[in-house]
Amino acid sequence: MKGYTKYFLNKLGWFAITFVFAFILNFTLPRLMPGDPVAAIVARQAQGISNPTGVQAIYQQYTELFGTDRPIVEQFFIYVRNVFRGDFGFSFSQYPRTVAEVIGASIGWTLILQFPAIIVGWILGNVLGAMAAYLRGGFDKVLMPAALFLSSFPAFGMAVILLVIFAVYLKWFPTSGGYGYTLIPSLTPTFLWSAFIHYQLPFWSIVLIAIGGQAIGMRSMSIYELNADYVKFARFMGIKDDKIVAYVFRNAMLPQVTGLALALGTMVGGALIAEIVFSYPGLGTTLLNGVMGQDYPLISAATLIITFMVLTANFVLEILYGVIDPRIKAAQSD
Amino acid sequence: MRHRFNLLLILFAIAGMALAACGAPAAPAEQPAATQPPAAQEQPAAAAPTEAPTPAEAAAPVSADALPRKETLYYNGFQWGPVVGWNPYSNSNNNGMAISQGDNARVTMFETPYLYNMLDGKQYPLLADGDWAWNEDRTEITFKLKPAARWSDGTPVTAEDVAYTWATHVKYETATGAANKDYIETVEAVDPQTVVIKAKLDENGRAVNPLIVQAYLSSVYVVQKAWTQKLEERSGGDATKLMADPAEDVVYSGPYGKFFADDTKVVLVRNDNYWGQDPSMWGKLPPPKYLAHVIFKDNAAGTTALMAGEVDVSQQFNSNVQDLWEKYNLPISTYLPDPPYHIGASLPTAFYNLKAHGLDQLCIRKAIAIAVDYPAIIANAMTNQSATFEQVPRSLMNPTPFEQAMYNREAVKHLQWVGNDIEGAKKLLDECGVVDTDGDGWREYNGQKLSYVATCPNGWSDWQAAIEIVAAAGKQIGIDITTNFPEWSVYQTVVTKSDTPLPPGYEIFMMWSAGAGPTQPWGRIRNLLSSEWIGLPSNWSGNWGQYSNPEVDELLKLIPHETDEAKLKEMYTRLVEIYLTDVPSFTLMYRPQNFHTVNESVWTNFPHQGDGTNPPVPPLNLIDGWGIAGLYNITLVEP
Repeated sequence: MKGYTKYFLNKLGWFAITFVFAFILNFTLPRLMPGDPVAAIVARQAQGISNPTGVQAIYQQYTELFGTDRPIVEQFFIYVRNVFRGDFGFSFSQYPRTVAEVIGASIGWTLILQFPAIIVGWILGNVLGAMAAYLRGGFDKVLMPAALFLSSFPAFGMAVILLVIFAVYLKWFPTSGGYGYTLIPSLTPTFLWSAFIHYQLPFWSIVLIAIGGQAIGMRSMSIYELNADYVKFARFMGIKDDKIVAYVFRNAMLPQVTGLALALGTMVGGALIAEIVFSYPGLGTTLLNGVMGQDYPLISAATLIITFMVLTANFVLEILYGVIDPRIKAAQSD
Repeated sequence: MRHRFNLLLILFAIAGMALAACGAPAAPAEQPAATQPPAAQEQPAAAAPTEAPTPAEAAAPVSADALPRKETLYYNGFQWGPVVGWNPYSNSNNNGMAISQGDNARVTMFETPYLYNMLDGKQYPLLADGDWAWNEDRTEITFKLKPAARWSDGTPVTAEDVAYTWATHVKYETATGAANKDYIETVEAVDPQTVVIKAKLDENGRAVNPLIVQAYLSSVYVVQKAWTQKLEERSGGDATKLMADPAEDVVYSGPYGKFFADDTKVVLVRNDNYWGQDPSMWGKLPPPKYLAHVIFKDNAAGTTALMAGEVDVSQQFNSNVQDLWEKYNLPISTYLPDPPYHIGASLPTAFYNLKAHGLDQLCIRKAIAIAVDYPAIIANAMTNQSATFEQVPRSLMNPTPFEQAMYNREAVKHLQWVGNDIEGAKKLLDECGVVDTDGDGWREYNGQKLSYVATCPNGWSDWQAAIEIVAAAGKQIGIDITTNFPEWSVYQTVVTKSDTPLPPGYEIFMMWSAGAGPTQPWGRIRNLLSSEWIGLPSNWSGNWGQYSNPEVDELLKLIPHETDEAKLKEMYTRLVEIYLTDVPSFTLMYRPQNFHTVNESVWTNFPHQGDGTNPPVPPLNLIDGWGIAGLYNITLVEP
């Protein structure tokens, strides 16, 4: 187990170093954007104020409150201290809400939409891709162009097409929102059914695109593996087809797992299109508005979450690789 | 502490997911798509316990989990993000259905003593009883409160509340306090029903600005003293805390209070004990029990919902609005049946950087302004939802009948251009010696080619279309104008910095002007032309091109004190004359105070031009200023 411990510690060290740098960049990059976020808040406050000194007073007040007048290094250390206390501060764009409140209110929607969609897209895509490689013939001839067609669709194109066909023309599904416009959230069958119906189009707009990409990748990997020497050897040995297929897919799956981890990491950004087209609540548009409004604390917190997701997913993946594929551990711990 | 807990929850959720994801391949195919969503959907409701329905105080107990369609009036265009609070002392609650103090204050939840009517320029009593009156020296305004006026907790609205509201605004330096404290000395309660507002006096013993004191009566909410004291207590006298308080427990006097708000919608519920059903005010309750606003992510989504009958009153820009009834035969209409469909109130304006090379020359400014194809701007950028400059000739006034009557149109007729005058512009440039000397097709001034950037914020599509047309006009008259569209966050930082000259790239740029209100048109003209804004490090008022004219400044000082209408008209006419002669900036289109488009599938009898209401109900979506009178007139299509 010594080799594995070394491998694990090595990965953990890199995880920590990457995280620290990512943390610094998450803080710094938004603040390097040109423009002054406090001015935007003052713009809201100053609507209809005809007294110039009044506007200056408001500007001063918010500059001090948000600390944007202090040197950036000082701001950074204040930020670090607060983050360790779990305090991300006030959101500029939704002041006086705190960043925790803003993210807390929208992240649930994003997770519920994106997580199942990515998983379902991934599973369906891989199963279809593997089947295409294995069955070949007519199935492959139909699936391959279809998958290419789907995966090359821009996300907004797919969302708009689904919206126009199924919501505007066929009227099978609602056009927008997370639940019926007449409803108030509650644990009643009416509400849950409404939420389920509203979920379908955004969900499938993500799944369909994911299926295409995954299927293409899985098909190529599987074809490669099916032609590998060990498969031929196993066939000569008279090993059952089921057993061979299991070996093949385990090997073909490795790069696909990497893809899944990365897809989960980019969940927040990926939801943006579906959220905008279907007016679906979620973190994507919250973050976009934060970027537009130079909401530093919100941007930093959201990107920190994304960073954490990507890094953790990769870390767990690498650890699992060590288990799934002994070659990697062996190579890394030398 | 709670924040840390939230964060931990989020991180655990993420870590859990990542782990689950990596474990997933072991058990594929066991998660069919269909079983995922219902289980998953339980979370938003459960995850946001703090945002569960909280029936408003004093309202009848409500347990609805669905809003009955025939008891709900649906809106769009007011709320573009989640509501962050219900605090009438703060301007940053992003609460478009309940809080908007100003020229046409929103009076659904909180109320002002008077209601401004942008159609006739008058103030009508709401909490107040009868008209207000100046004393002889015009230094004090006295008004009475209606004996029937009550808070949502049943206690009477008193003069003490009015006085304490003002004192709080001043003490905590709220935006309202800062805006008015140079003009208002004190607000005092003479007796429980009588309020006296004392104006700040100048060195001559006159009110500094009587207009702004008058405007206070219809633009600032009255907040309950008892609740304010409670708020002060819990914020420990800290101004920032006081204004950041979400005020979920606020006591209000208006007909509606909070019912529900989350990231997807906001709903107000009627207070069935609302004092306004007293014969001294409306004599009845407004028909809709709920006012609801779904938060749409963009205009397109809002328009789709309006077409589907899921929105009754639309305050957003619906492109080509006439298609909704002409092409799709929907029961949708605007205030006016024909173009411009709405009553214009503000004047989106192109400003010149008067310090840029050549733009200090009148003939160049004027040539560009008269060459612009305004009909194209109005047709493309506004899809004809703006009056043309043939219909409403350019001045400093908005198209409301009240303001149009404030100046002598005949006297300035020779100055009012309608645009598209390419030949006239070329002639003007030739005459003042701005010609193409080196034969490259572009004119030079002082040996330097005239080359400008016209700019407005990115994503403001109507403004961008207008700026493109301005640039095209330049090319036709030999002035090289290119366009650039920075993000709003950058744009506003540059444009509002009036203590330095504007940087290159901002030679011609677009900003807004004030709409309709009790200080208008004076306030708008002051914003457009007054030199008092020059030198401010953060100028949100106007005159961003930094124009300076002592005669204008003098007239702007005199107007608030003038009561003789003939003299006022003379002064306003002179200001228009100067504006159209000097061309420091120019109006590109007219924009309504609010867009006001209604779908009469469920509710009907909305305000329309010539609907016979007297005083006329302005098209302000039934919730702003005197516009709220329209809320009491609507009826169900099928009762």
